[in-house]
Amino acid sequence: MIIQLLVSGLALGSMYGLVALGYHMTWATSRTLNFSQGHVVMLGAVVAYGVHVAAGWPLAVAVIATLAASAAFGLVVERIAVRPFFTAGSPVWLLSTIALGIIVENVAMVTFGKDARAFPSTLALKPVFLLGAGVYPQELLLPLAGVVLMGGTQLFYHRTFYGRQLKAVAWDREAAGLMGIDVPRAVATAYALSAVLAGVAGVLLAPLLNVSPTMGTLIGLKAFAVAILGGLGSAAGIVVAGFLYGLVEALVAGYVSTGAREIVGFALVIAMLTVRPWGLGGRRPTRRV
Amino acid sequence: MRRASVMLVAALLGLLALAGVLPAQQPPIRLGLAAAVSGGSAASGEAIKRGLSIALDEVNARGGLLGGRKLELVVRDDEGNPQKGVTIARELVEREKVAAVFGGLHTTVALAQVPVWHELSTPYVGTWAAGTNITQNGKKPNFVFRVSANDDEVDKFLVRYAAEHLKRGKPGLLLENTAWGQSNETGLTKWFAERGVKAVGVEKFNWNDPDMSPQLLRLKQGGADVVMLVANAPEGAQVVKSKAKVGWEVPIVSHWGISGGRFAELTGELSDGVVFVQTYSFFGKQNARGEAVLKALKDRFGVKGPEDATAPVGTANAYDALHLVALAIEQAKSADGAKVRDALEDLKAEYAGLIKTYKRPFTPEQHDALTERDYLMVVWKGGKIVPVH
Repeated sequence: MIIQLLVSGLALGSMYGLVALGYHMTWATSRTLNFSQGHVVMLGAVVAYGVHVAAGWPLAVAVIATLAASAAFGLVVERIAVRPFFTAGSPVWLLSTIALGIIVENVAMVTFGKDARAFPSTLALKPVFLLGAGVYPQELLLPLAGVVLMGGTQLFYHRTFYGRQLKAVAWDREAAGLMGIDVPRAVATAYALSAVLAGVAGVLLAPLLNVSPTMGTLIGLKAFAVAILGGLGSAAGIVVAGFLYGLVEALVAGYVSTGAREIVGFALVIAMLTVRPWGLGGRRPTRRV
Repeated sequence: MRRASVMLVAALLGLLALAGVLPAQQPPIRLGLAAAVSGGSAASGEAIKRGLSIALDEVNARGGLLGGRKLELVVRDDEGNPQKGVTIARELVEREKVAAVFGGLHTTVALAQVPVWHELSTPYVGTWAAGTNITQNGKKPNFVFRVSANDDEVDKFLVRYAAEHLKRGKPGLLLENTAWGQSNETGLTKWFAERGVKAVGVEKFNWNDPDMSPQLLRLKQGGADVVMLVANAPEGAQVVKSKAKVGWEVPIVSHWGISGGRFAELTGELSDGVVFVQTYSFFGKQNARGEAVLKALKDRFGVKGPEDATAPVGTANAYDALHLVALAIEQAKSADGAKVRDALEDLKAEYAGLIKTYKRPFTPEQHDALTERDYLMVVWKGGKIVPVH
């Protein structure tokens, strides 16, 4: 039983971590978030379904189309739900991003339909067994993708010119602007990248969770909890926190009760906010006087 | 001259209309549907609307009711919200002047509306929500009827199947964490207790939960030899997927939430062998009404076949419910709410319906037209629903 719980927990945790990385992307650059990250996951899954399953395009083409659609959506979110309020210094983006997510969900209901649909994948047909614990091969892709994407974002931020620009914007927007960095463009890029991450998560999760307009809501919420736990500023912290959160959920559900699962999970988040608000992997912010 | 003749003709027509000679002038009889037609449960509302429209067209094609009055359907969305449900209940009766109202999926909404039907003397016929105390509401006279399942009866039916057919004595309960799950926890526990059986575990899950393996492992550890499932299709699918992961060979006996055609699509061959209760199935051999309804679903709503008919029980229940109300209106010789209610409670005509032949479906004590005896146990097999014999 314990092995099955550990395996299930890790699979679940990598799912949360993967989605949570999207929160990190925009936070690191603009100190704003797309609260509808879960809806972008859904959008990715729905677009992939439309292109691959309904229209019958090959998977590779479908993935490219999905990522392009996700990036475009990320730009839309930034342009209409974040930038107008962000530049005015107002925290209304909190609500406007949620509102945009609700709109996307309802558009999906009208166009895609309300029923959950299957996204066929040969990797999600039959579980394989490791030490007696079952896991779908598709689930093994998730931690892999999580680690690769985490590494990728780190390389991008630290090793590329454009990534460094984004980092500079995160450090000090005004100074970055004075240094000739196009700040609005950097923020828009971060939103597009964040949406692409969510789109990747959507494609990977579609065979496991099935595709439906509401599939992303709960995942998005838990991924946010994971992002807080891991530290919004730390990609590595988020991936580790994802695994931890998944394990805690599986173990609490297995040994205590299913009802206690959400209570313990979100209590952890509150505890973290009290004790170490910058998260597991984040750095204590230096106060500048 | 010409103008004078036009006026003459008009006057003549007016006189004829006043005398009731021109039948087309009769006002329609309006019927209401108060159900969730948006949001996550919209498929249920749509299925009910289909059943009602098909039956309504049949009645109108026969020339309507009460000597030529056509039926007309007015749909209002309760959004799955009890507050909204009360508002639209009033609106349907007071503004839209409907003679009777059909109900939707949510037990919570149906319960909130009970006092309104009583106050406004309007008969209500539930076509989905299965909460036991919707019809057993203690009101006299009782304006609430139902052509659908009733949780208490369903639980009795499921328990009997597990105990007598499968000969299992260690049930594990796996329920969605909602009022519906709660209502069935009560019913299943009660009916198992009648047989001296106690559940070895009761596990819950939330909507959109991705992984059910911890819950299943707990039931397995508890020694369960049958899983009693109360879930809708998406969560039910995750249950059978997790069950394969846990590597547990155990029979699943389920409430009707997994009846939507998509359950098989979501689970592939993993759904094989899962049994569940239905009031009606469009799979297999159909009676004449079944053929007609399937054809109408295809022609009017583009439904390709039984596997494409989402939420089929809603359509079947609503279809029969509308025909029963039509018979009651004929018998009452009036579209007055109180009179229609009295007629429903004492329906003289026999109705050979889709689900069964209704002989006096309602009495002052029994407001559920369908009971345990009318339910049907079916099983998923190769993506199709097949009756269990």
